[in-house]
Amino acid sequence: MTALANLLAFLGLVVTLLIVWRQSWRGRLRLFALQSLLLAALAAVIGLFTGKAGLLAVAGIVVALKAWLIPRVLSRIAAGTPPRPAIPGRSSGMALLVAGALVVVAYVVMLPVTRAGDLPTEGGIPLAFAIALIGLLVTVTGRDALGHTLGFLMLENGIFGLALLATYGLPGIVEAGVFLDVLAIVLLMEGVVLEIRREHDSIEVDRLRELRG
Amino acid sequence: MILVLLLAVPLVTAAVLVRARGRAAAVAHGLGVVFTLGAAAAVAAAVARDDSVTAVDGLLRADALSAWMVALIDLVAALAGAEAPRQAPLGAGGRFYPLLHLFTFTMLLAVTTDDVGLMWVAIEGTTLASVFLVNFERSRAALEASYKYLLICSVGVAIAFVGTVLVYFTDVQRFGHEPHALRWTTLLRLAPELGPRVLELAFVFLLVGYGTKAGLAPMHTWLPDAHSEAPAPVSALMSGVLLGVGLYAVLRFKAVVDLATGQAFGSRLLVGLGLASLAVAAAFLWSPRNYKRMLAYSSVEHLGVACLGIAFGGPWGLGGALLHLANHALAKSVLFLLSGRIRAAYGSADIGAVSGLVAVMPFTGRAFVVAMLALMGLPPFGLFVSEVMVFRAGFEEGWGLAAATGLGLLVVAFAGLLRAAHRMAYGAPAASTAVRREAWQASLPIVAALALLVATGVAWPPGLAAALGHAVAALAP
Repeated sequence: MTALANLLAFLGLVVTLLIVWRQSWRGRLRLFALQSLLLAALAAVIGLFTGKAGLLAVAGIVVALKAWLIPRVLSRIAAGTPPRPAIPGRSSGMALLVAGALVVVAYVVMLPVTRAGDLPTEGGIPLAFAIALIGLLVTVTGRDALGHTLGFLMLENGIFGLALLATYGLPGIVEAGVFLDVLAIVLLMEGVVLEIRREHDSIEVDRLRELRG
Repeated sequence: MILVLLLAVPLVTAAVLVRARGRAAAVAHGLGVVFTLGAAAAVAAAVARDDSVTAVDGLLRADALSAWMVALIDLVAALAGAEAPRQAPLGAGGRFYPLLHLFTFTMLLAVTTDDVGLMWVAIEGTTLASVFLVNFERSRAALEASYKYLLICSVGVAIAFVGTVLVYFTDVQRFGHEPHALRWTTLLRLAPELGPRVLELAFVFLLVGYGTKAGLAPMHTWLPDAHSEAPAPVSALMSGVLLGVGLYAVLRFKAVVDLATGQAFGSRLLVGLGLASLAVAAAFLWSPRNYKRMLAYSSVEHLGVACLGIAFGGPWGLGGALLHLANHALAKSVLFLLSGRIRAAYGSADIGAVSGLVAVMPFTGRAFVVAMLALMGLPPFGLFVSEVMVFRAGFEEGWGLAAATGLGLLVVAFAGLLRAAHRMAYGAPAASTAVRREAWQASLPIVAALALLVATGVAWPPGLAAALGHAVAALAP
């Protein structure tokens, strides 16, 4: 289980870095779906090795919700925007560098956790946390609503992975709540974004700058 | 049982209001507000008698601290509910009223559940329920405010989730997968033996996460926009109690973490955030231009004071913080409700556009001045007493420098608020605004709330001291 969990967490981080690197939103969405599939696989692996049938159900929900439904909603949000940013010249090199630094930060921050226990899955914990941090980075630096939403979902995936690796799943009521929240946030985002597009004819939230001070 | 009832009333009201139109909607809304208030009183009475009430196999549990928060939420919900028909037509259908009651429900759930995970879900639910309320006027500014609100608070609450996972992690590491591991009662029992390093890390995440909901600087950036763009009753609920619910989560977690790591760790962090909030608020309040934003930044200021109270600790600090939350809830919700009336009369939220308020709107203008004086922390109003309690705790518990800095920042904010209130209340009324007749019914809730504020400032009603004492004691049994 240790090897498999570590491998999946590592692959998740690689996919996350690829999301930071890619510029086209179609590619980013496909990568996000892949990241969610890896998360589902992680849940299934941990479920199989620890004999928790509930985690298999969680894996199924992750596939249905995050690998299928949410990417569809996101592509609805993105529909009509140019596949690449209209203003070229912003390379993703700097973002990748910061993301790399965040991986180191994640290892340092999670030291108390990895030292505290003797979990077989502890190797993946800093990796999952790194995914969450990079998701936060994408959220903060995102220039349009799609970037913000995608970043938030990556953050969420990272945290969910962290919860799986550190605690082998949270109590059922919390997990159900988390799924509902994610779905509700994405749907609300879609509603707000569609309205932004109607008002401003774009989803670049840079244009939202009326409230100051 | 009474807890189930408390939660069921706003939920059922919301469901009914989705369908009801016309008079039926008005009746449902009115009954919902009244019954919610009644259920809150019943919870308070039950807690005063039995110390705590539980329901649904312990999933719902109210101790004195929960009862305190329930009372606050329902008082402000009643004030907002009474004012709402002036802002949004009742009976025309639409999402406003169902969401308003749903919003109340999520806040009540957050403070009456014993389950830390369910509380997290409920606090996230407060954001989801109120996003469309913020965007009710559907202007560009309101749209921007609701977008920021949804994004920043969702990220914040996700960060709080990391903290919750870490708390659960150390719990599971130490004690295995025991049932109900994520309950306040269990955590308080086990806390002394939980891993202090992991809990410290968890508390940082929890503080950033729930601090975002509480509007503490530097995570407050969503707050002025959302509070100023939302319709007045929603601003009153958000500013009056939603911020308090965020701080409630911080307060509960601090009590748990303190048991494992000692008080100093959490207190240092909270003093930092509290002073940062006061500084940010004082900087803005020195010369505000928009009165709704002014009220919003003043919320950052007062949550900062409450945060300092929690940090200083001891019966004076904690009691002061809780009382301050209550006083602030009353004063601020009155002010936001009045600001809605002022905006309707003057057609602008700019301080420069409002003058001669006392002459144009005799009742609203005077009530606004009185509530502003209360908000500045002048006697005989309750905020003066609770601020004295908080800063007394600061000097007594060895945080003299922090307390003195905080007091200095309060004085700056005081000066700014006084200037703005003076500019709005007096001076020659603009030619275009006619003197308004105001119905006496509309002034009743406002007068009642201001009377309560005087009561907490001059002569505490019987039972208040005991309630406060029990609420503080509930934190560390």
